Amino acid sequence: MTTSVSSPQTQGSGAHTAVAARARGLTKAYGSGETRVVALDAVDVDMPRGRFTAIMGPSGSGKSTLMHCLAGLDTASGGRIWVGGTEITKLRDKKLTRLRRDSIGFIFQAFNLLPTLTALENITLPMDIAGRTPDREWLERVVETVGLAGRLKHRPAQLSGGQQQRVAVARALAARPEIIFGDEPTGNLDSRAGAEILGFLRHSVDQLGQTIVMVTHDPVAASYADRVLYLADGRIVDEMHAPTADAVLERMKSFDSRGRTS
Amino acid sequence: MTVLRTSLRNFLAHKGRMALSAVAVLLSVAFVCGTLVFTDTMNATFDKLFATTASDVTVSPQKVDNAQQTGTPDSLPASLQARLAQVPGVAGVVPEVSSQLATVADSSNQDVGSSTGAPTIVANWNPTQTKSVDITSGHVPLGPGDAVLDADTAAKHHLGIGDRLRVIAGPGDVTVTISGIATFRTTNPGAAVVYLDTPTAQRALLGSHDAYTDYALAARPGVSDDQLKVQVTAALGSGTYQVQTAAEVTAQNQKDIGSFLDPMKYVLLGFAGIAVLVGIFLIVNTFSMLVAQRTREIGLMRAIGASRRQVNRSVLVEAVLLGVVGSLAGIGAGIGLAVGLIKVMGALGMHLDTASLTIKPATPLIGLAVGVVVTVVSAMLPARRAGAISPMAAMRDAGTPADARAGRIRAAIGILLTSAGGTALALAATSASASAGAGPLAIGVLLTLVGFVVVGPLLAGLVVRVLGAVTLRMFGPVGRLAERNALRNPRRTGATAAALMIGLALVAGLSVVGDSMVASATAQMNTSVGADFIIQAGNGQPISPAAARAVHSAGHLSHVTDRTDVAATVTAPDGTVDKTEIAAATPSYTDDLQAKTVQGQLIDAYAPGAMSVPAGWAKDHKVTLGDRLDVAFTGGTTARLTVRAITSDDTVFDKGAMYTNIAEARKYLPADRFPENVMMFAAAVPGQQAQADAALKAATAAYPQVKIRDQAEYKDMIQQQLDQLLNMIYALLALAIIVAVLGVVNTLALSVVERTREIGLMRAIGMSRRQLRRMVRLESVVIALFGAVLGVALGMGWGIAAQKLLALAGLGVLSIPWTTIGVVFLGSAVVGLLAALFPAFRAGRMNVLKAIATD
Repeated sequence: MTTSVSSPQTQGSGAHTAVAARARGLTKAYGSGETRVVALDAVDVDMPRGRFTAIMGPSGSGKSTLMHCLAGLDTASGGRIWVGGTEITKLRDKKLTRLRRDSIGFIFQAFNLLPTLTALENITLPMDIAGRTPDREWLERVVETVGLAGRLKHRPAQLSGGQQQRVAVARALAARPEIIFGDEPTGNLDSRAGAEILGFLRHSVDQLGQTIVMVTHDPVAASYADRVLYLADGRIVDEMHAPTADAVLERMKSFDSRGRTS
Repeated sequence: MTVLRTSLRNFLAHKGRMALSAVAVLLSVAFVCGTLVFTDTMNATFDKLFATTASDVTVSPQKVDNAQQTGTPDSLPASLQARLAQVPGVAGVVPEVSSQLATVADSSNQDVGSSTGAPTIVANWNPTQTKSVDITSGHVPLGPGDAVLDADTAAKHHLGIGDRLRVIAGPGDVTVTISGIATFRTTNPGAAVVYLDTPTAQRALLGSHDAYTDYALAARPGVSDDQLKVQVTAALGSGTYQVQTAAEVTAQNQKDIGSFLDPMKYVLLGFAGIAVLVGIFLIVNTFSMLVAQRTREIGLMRAIGASRRQVNRSVLVEAVLLGVVGSLAGIGAGIGLAVGLIKVMGALGMHLDTASLTIKPATPLIGLAVGVVVTVVSAMLPARRAGAISPMAAMRDAGTPADARAGRIRAAIGILLTSAGGTALALAATSASASAGAGPLAIGVLLTLVGFVVVGPLLAGLVVRVLGAVTLRMFGPVGRLAERNALRNPRRTGATAAALMIGLALVAGLSVVGDSMVASATAQMNTSVGADFIIQAGNGQPISPAAARAVHSAGHLSHVTDRTDVAATVTAPDGTVDKTEIAAATPSYTDDLQAKTVQGQLIDAYAPGAMSVPAGWAKDHKVTLGDRLDVAFTGGTTARLTVRAITSDDTVFDKGAMYTNIAEARKYLPADRFPENVMMFAAAVPGQQAQADAALKAATAAYPQVKIRDQAEYKDMIQQQLDQLLNMIYALLALAIIVAVLGVVNTLALSVVERTREIGLMRAIGMSRRQLRRMVRLESVVIALFGAVLGVALGMGWGIAAQKLLALAGLGVLSIPWTTIGVVFLGSAVVGLLAALFPAFRAGRMNVLKAIATD
């Protein structure tokens, strides 16, 4: 596996650890009493800096919930979560919002872009909201990397699905966040466009030292990651390093059959 | 059946989204029903009052058309009483004295008369009065010094038994002491009433002990009112006296009161109509947005076999449900509104009885019809659009509907209508006479209004960008997002702003006309009014001879002008007959009001046997200088007067007046038929303005009805009267503006729902709640300001066209009320902020996870 060449975090501080996000005893439960459903059951997890982690698991395994909690979109019922050096479990909405804005990038499955803004405006939106001027040089590099140079003035409606996702990737990268979370970022794309996006993500980890966590159910997508975490019934049940699509598929099958027989 | 069920479920599922539309229907229907209930209640109250006061048969002086305003009511000889008593079938004759021309003052010379427009009545105490009032304390008037006052007036002015009152009437003054308080059995709608003993009433009001104003006759048992009337008419001869049965008197009174109440009713209904119009925009927007949001659902229904008609009908059924719910609530609210109005009127001195609240069966039906028809008509277009959704829509990606680009046809129609309207306005502005321009003005107003509504969405792009550049850019990316959001669906923004535009255009237009009126009147006063003091009686009554004498007696004055209107019938050389009034004045009037002439000198019209006519009249009747007119003074003789001057119609004051010398007019009328002064003017001895003012006020101190104003005070009065009128209109337009504001709230609230996913995304990538709320607020402000820009542009166009049209009729000065215009803009921005309160709160509260997980 490749190791990160250089950290993109230039304005770094002592808070920099080898881990970009971490959870200890992370529990998420819905309802109470009889109807209590546990989505995450005391999960301990580390997302190493400069690495590409994929989270897999069957529907209802809690993989999206895990990502949402780590990203500060959802609140945990128990346990503690850190992003960078900050514990986010105790943060109020205002600080959490600022953390998302400054330290976290998002790529959703669909509907990633504001239809009223051009591609470029979408890319710089998090920085605009923060009132920061984007780093020109870095922005150009990111735009070039995802191959959007000619399309910056276009509105989302004028872009193909793959191009829209590339804009989303560029937006996530442009602000140089601590960590990028992808929620099935290729789920709505055909395999070629999906491969392109995954290539960019891989590239940004290798070349730009970005940390990425991606939820997926596609073994091919997972094979782009450095590490795959398997979730079942709200627990991390397995982990695979340097995955290949076939190996991931095999592992999934075994979970599936186990799940059915149990 | 399925259609109905789907509609019902949809309606219930989206009741929140329908709420504001329902409120719009509610407000409009409430205004309509409230007006009807209120005016019906007023009518019923008066009917009850009239029914209790009318006698079986009343004999009164024959009504004369175009009568002289002498200040003394017409009377009947006292000898008639004995003759009437002899008429078969008459059980009793009650002679009555009653006048509405007197002023009643308290011991400190304050007018205690009615100030609500209801009459001040001074009458003799007679047995008929006990039908309508009870003496609740003290005793009836027993002698010349006694008076009974009605309880409402006594309470309002803190008067009681033993307090002194002065009754000031044409024949003179009398001072009396309150001996009793009378309370109305039915509702007293605000009249101030004083009862005197019969001889005192005769002397004070008629100046003669040998006269009464009417006789109330009671019929013997078994004799009907109609039979009695026949008998009386036979005995007195027809034509000399007016003989009316109780039913006829009541009908007459109802007709009189109706001529006052009906215009009020139609004006109020007119404003309700404007609110209804504005509500239509709101409802169209709501249904358009609901259909847009439901595109996939409708596509699915179409895919599984629902026909266009079924889809169409399902939307219309929802509209009917909305209309029914809104109207029913509106009918209830309308009755509440009427009760509220009655209470307000009560506080102002007009006591209406809420117990006699009159809800005619037609009222709820009208309310329901208005509400349902308006809602269904408004939903027609969106329903058609829903029907046109293809089954393929079910398969397509959800998300916000594509930008509805305003089409070229729309642009063409809008521009065509606007320019046609603009041409009509220009035509009106340049037309030769006010009456010729009225038609084009009305057409122009209507066409430009419709044109602006049609082109609104197209202008949205331009105006919102300019507004954005001016106001939103300072808010950075949030401002930019707000601007883009406002531009995203121009049709929706256009319709929302257009609703606001209607009310604001009327405000702007009327304010331009009103301000121009004041400016023109002021300008004309500065150039043509030479009098230092303008003297009038309050309540639009004439100045009594005693008060006029008091004015003449004041010192430090270089001259005093008497001015009155003498009723007369003028026959032009072409044979046309005009029942009109001649403005008879002292020649010094030519200095007090320097009316412009188009031919001849004004002062020549004051020579013996001379008069002036206005230019328009002269033109219509082909009258030129030197022509002789037959002027038959009502109740007097006919004069042949020579036209010596023709006055200009370009005036604010005395428009259309025919002048003659007051001394000349007196020659043709007996002294007791000559009308009292309607106005007086006075000029101070040069340099003694202040002393003259003091002298005039001292001389007329005993006549509280006489108001003395110098030029500045008179200008203030004009300004105040106009402000009062405008404020009343603005208050009524407020309803339309409120409905329009609801429309802004509605559009924003529905937009927030529609943009749930976007909002979730923005929150996820780090937009704070505050920024999000600000974004919604700014969008709202920009829509409201867009409406204000359209409204002010339209209103100013209307106002300027109207001023130019009326420039020939005295409205020569164009004055743009910049303060009002500024307030409109500022107010719109504030209204925009307020409208966004709830939608912004809602957007801020949206759960990020749920928002991005939608669908």
